[in-house]
Amino acid sequence: MKDPVVISSRIRLARNLRDYPFPCRMDDKQRTEVAEKVREALKNCDEKFMFVSMEDVNELDAVAMVERHLISPEFANSKAGRALAVTEDESISIMINEEDHLRIQVIKPGMSLREAYAIADRIDTELDKTLHFAFDNTLGFLTQCPTNLGTGMRASVMMHLCALADSRAVSRIASNLSKLGLAVRGTYGEGTDVSCALYQLSNQVTLGISEKSAIENLQNICTQLASSELQSRETLMQSMEYQDKISRSMGILLTARLISHAEAMKLLSNVRLGITEGIIDDVTIDAVDELMASIHPASLMRAQQRKLSPQERDKARAELIKATLR
Amino acid sequence: MKCQKCKVNNATTQVKRIVNGAYEEYMLCADCAHEMGFDNVFDTAMPDMFGGLVKSLFGTALPSRSQATRCPSCGSTYGDITNTGKVGCAKCYTTFFSELLPSVKRIHGNTTHCGKRPNMALAEESVANQKEDQIGILKTQLNKAVEEQNFELAAELRDKIKEMEGK
Repeated sequence: MKDPVVISSRIRLARNLRDYPFPCRMDDKQRTEVAEKVREALKNCDEKFMFVSMEDVNELDAVAMVERHLISPEFANSKAGRALAVTEDESISIMINEEDHLRIQVIKPGMSLREAYAIADRIDTELDKTLHFAFDNTLGFLTQCPTNLGTGMRASVMMHLCALADSRAVSRIASNLSKLGLAVRGTYGEGTDVSCALYQLSNQVTLGISEKSAIENLQNICTQLASSELQSRETLMQSMEYQDKISRSMGILLTARLISHAEAMKLLSNVRLGITEGIIDDVTIDAVDELMASIHPASLMRAQQRKLSPQERDKARAELIKATLR
Repeated sequence: MKCQKCKVNNATTQVKRIVNGAYEEYMLCADCAHEMGFDNVFDTAMPDMFGGLVKSLFGTALPSRSQATRCPSCGSTYGDITNTGKVGCAKCYTTFFSELLPSVKRIHGNTTHCGKRPNMALAEESVANQKEDQIGILKTQLNKAVEEQNFELAAELRDKIKEMEGK
């Protein structure tokens, strides 16, 4: 059975080559050199990476990459001298020349921070043999922004907290978590749209705490949060009103001819809850998660290989949802 | 540049976001940014926050110890770092170590790394290099102190260099 609350786990390591200035001080020639060095070094890794120069990626594809959490919005906006290395399943991606020379990212489904870190760690160690990352015995791995000093590691867990969000407990929890050095945000960090109750929890402190402890802390908190979410769901499910809301959400998704992204996300969130609570049994969580990832505007347009007007997008979205849920 | 919303105040906050698949970027003043809820949810607000943080810290702190004005490796000044919130290169951390340390402490509550270390041999090499760098910086400061006839500081620096070279 898939985890009803935890959707995915992500590890990101920030690394810089010690012999080059950080990206804010680099010229074009240095950017190209760094990208080329990383490309060479990646050949020693067990994984097979596709190497994409961002200058060759059109805007639509770049935005779709942001929607799939492969790259940051900023990385998609300014592409000069930047490159992306990514495995075929997109679970491992490396942004080159973003805020740091390398941003190594590993995403795994469910609660799998340790597993994701193990992969990121192995790639980091392999790359360091030839790239020689900037490191200081006191400050740890050196990064362009001091907020990433130390381990350079950001661990995050994406959770579906619909019952806690419904009882308005999330903002209270978020302020308590910030005291523990953790941050709670909407799915895309910067654009905190949480109508679909998808939240991202991550560590904030990277200096003075080891990777292992940071991961354990985050995992402990997420486990506690997941169990309190499950408890709240039990209470919520006793209300006939909420059961009705879930069934109606499914009804709209199956019959709508036009549907906006925000509405679809909200309804899919209800349906996801319905599946985990046994109210809906003919749709899988995987199908819902897959839809949540593929109904973003640029991803829809990419699938159709053309620009769509907002109304055309709403239509394409409604069709995709119907076809998947039926 | 004027704020794109009120068109009166100077813009201090840059907002970048993706709406319906299209990238948007605009500049706002602090008031409008606050009004629109963009003052602390965005990662992009971090550099400003950090810059402000460093400045507020140094407004009341003791004058900095290292008097290096420019990073010998990338040419960044300490002002560049506080204004952009971005450190120029790995050497900047050695050059402006004493200036940066208080803000590092404020951000992380800690100043000593704990966790993964790269290949040990390399780490040791970096210690040696770092020590050499620090001695170099101290020597430059010593020359400057002598030039300025600040002999008290010069004596202090001389002792420090001796101590470091002795180790």
